[in-house]
Amino acid sequence: MDKIHIDDLRFYYGSKLALSDITMGIQARKITALIGPSGCGKSTLLRCLNRMNDTIRSAHVEGRILLDGQDIYAPDSDVVTLRQRVGMVFQRPNPFPQSIYDNVAFGPRVMGAARKGDLDTIVEQSLRGAGLWDEVKDDLKLDAQRLSLGQQQRLCIARVIAVKPEVILMDEPASALDPIATLKIEDLMRELVQDYTIVIVTHNMQQAARVSDYTAFMLINENLAGTVVEYGQTGQVFTQPRDRRTEDYITGKFG
Amino acid sequence: MPRPRESFDRELQRLKDEVLALGSIVEEAILDSVKALGERNWEEAERIIAEDRLVNQKRFAIERDVLVLIATQQPMAIDLRTLAAILEIVTELERIGDYAKGISKINLMIGDAPLLKPLIDLPRMAQKATDMLHRALGAFVQMDADLARSIPAEDDDVDALYNQVQRELLTYILADPKNLEQANYLTWAAHNLERAADRVTNICERVVFTVTGEMSELDTHFSVTEDADKSK
Repeated sequence: MDKIHIDDLRFYYGSKLALSDITMGIQARKITALIGPSGCGKSTLLRCLNRMNDTIRSAHVEGRILLDGQDIYAPDSDVVTLRQRVGMVFQRPNPFPQSIYDNVAFGPRVMGAARKGDLDTIVEQSLRGAGLWDEVKDDLKLDAQRLSLGQQQRLCIARVIAVKPEVILMDEPASALDPIATLKIEDLMRELVQDYTIVIVTHNMQQAARVSDYTAFMLINENLAGTVVEYGQTGQVFTQPRDRRTEDYITGKFG
Repeated sequence: MPRPRESFDRELQRLKDEVLALGSIVEEAILDSVKALGERNWEEAERIIAEDRLVNQKRFAIERDVLVLIATQQPMAIDLRTLAAILEIVTELERIGDYAKGISKINLMIGDAPLLKPLIDLPRMAQKATDMLHRALGAFVQMDADLARSIPAEDDDVDALYNQVQRELLTYILADPKNLEQANYLTWAAHNLERAADRVTNICERVVFTVTGEMSELDTHFSVTEDADKSK
């Protein structure tokens, strides 16, 4: 079974159709990249996967998104639990204006990990998982906003994994970072995918090619709604795309 | 955290190992095809002909994986040259595999006629060519340009043996025109082995290019870049 199965999804901002007839699967413990030109709907699609679009008043969804076979848009489904199971990392790192420790401990505290011993362990494990522990272990009380951007982003990843998600959504996670920090995030993703399912939106095709197992190429269709043109294993999409439009995009004929 | 590009390095190493594996199959095929010719072993000849399909499959699999690696990892400099070299080398190996298949077909075409003479120089040529190939592939995996530069000179030995075989077979033709058909076949087999050794020289050139970034023709000691400058 797919970890996430998107079934005939249509997404509207008010009366405007923004995503059209999307059906695809996200494989468990693989990295799936969503690529495509600006405005094609990749971030919109990503935000459907943990119902972040619910925060937009006019947004509504038709079709289903199944997480382990259960529709996340079912009337009785719990959004808070969903967002613990499906975490998100954003384009600009957004650490809370608190210490490194408190940033990572925040989610577990809210979820009820009351004993300090537990929290210490969770914080350390999460920071290790995000590849940040060695750099910050001597000063966990440091204000998180004093970290470099690359470190802040890894802190945000630590914050996500502290609540033990199953899926991590990443919306252009490295676009605010320098090349070395970007490579570190990419290497981190290859480590994390052993335990988590990852979906990444990126406008950087080379990054998608380097890091992902599966790639979905999206375009705006004639109704100005985003749609998935092609989906497949990354090696095949970048060497032998099945659709001419995919080939034109990855060979740079349009951006 | 793993060193950056560790998975790229691992995949590149795997591809180099695949090249060595393909090289082994082809070396064995050359030696076995000549041995089978000498022993009039047609079953073995058929086996080698059928095995050529495996050689082709492995070659295409390696090529495909190289292209995927180039497309997905954007390799630069020596990594890029190494991958380009792999594409060239597997083509050369596939040709050498074809030569073994050719010798096996010759074995079948000679049929049950007795050999004009026991094979002496053909096995020597086969041994020499496969030995050169083995060391050339070693030079590739070790990125040893000096070793690669030293091998092509041995091609002269193979060429000398080839000339010897041709001269000798000519005497058999002159002695009795009925010998013409088999003598032609055996000359062709020798030609295949001589070509195999030539291919090894190409592989050595590729190794030097990969390591140094310079393309030279190693058998004539002529550098492409040098001569291009002279002509200005």
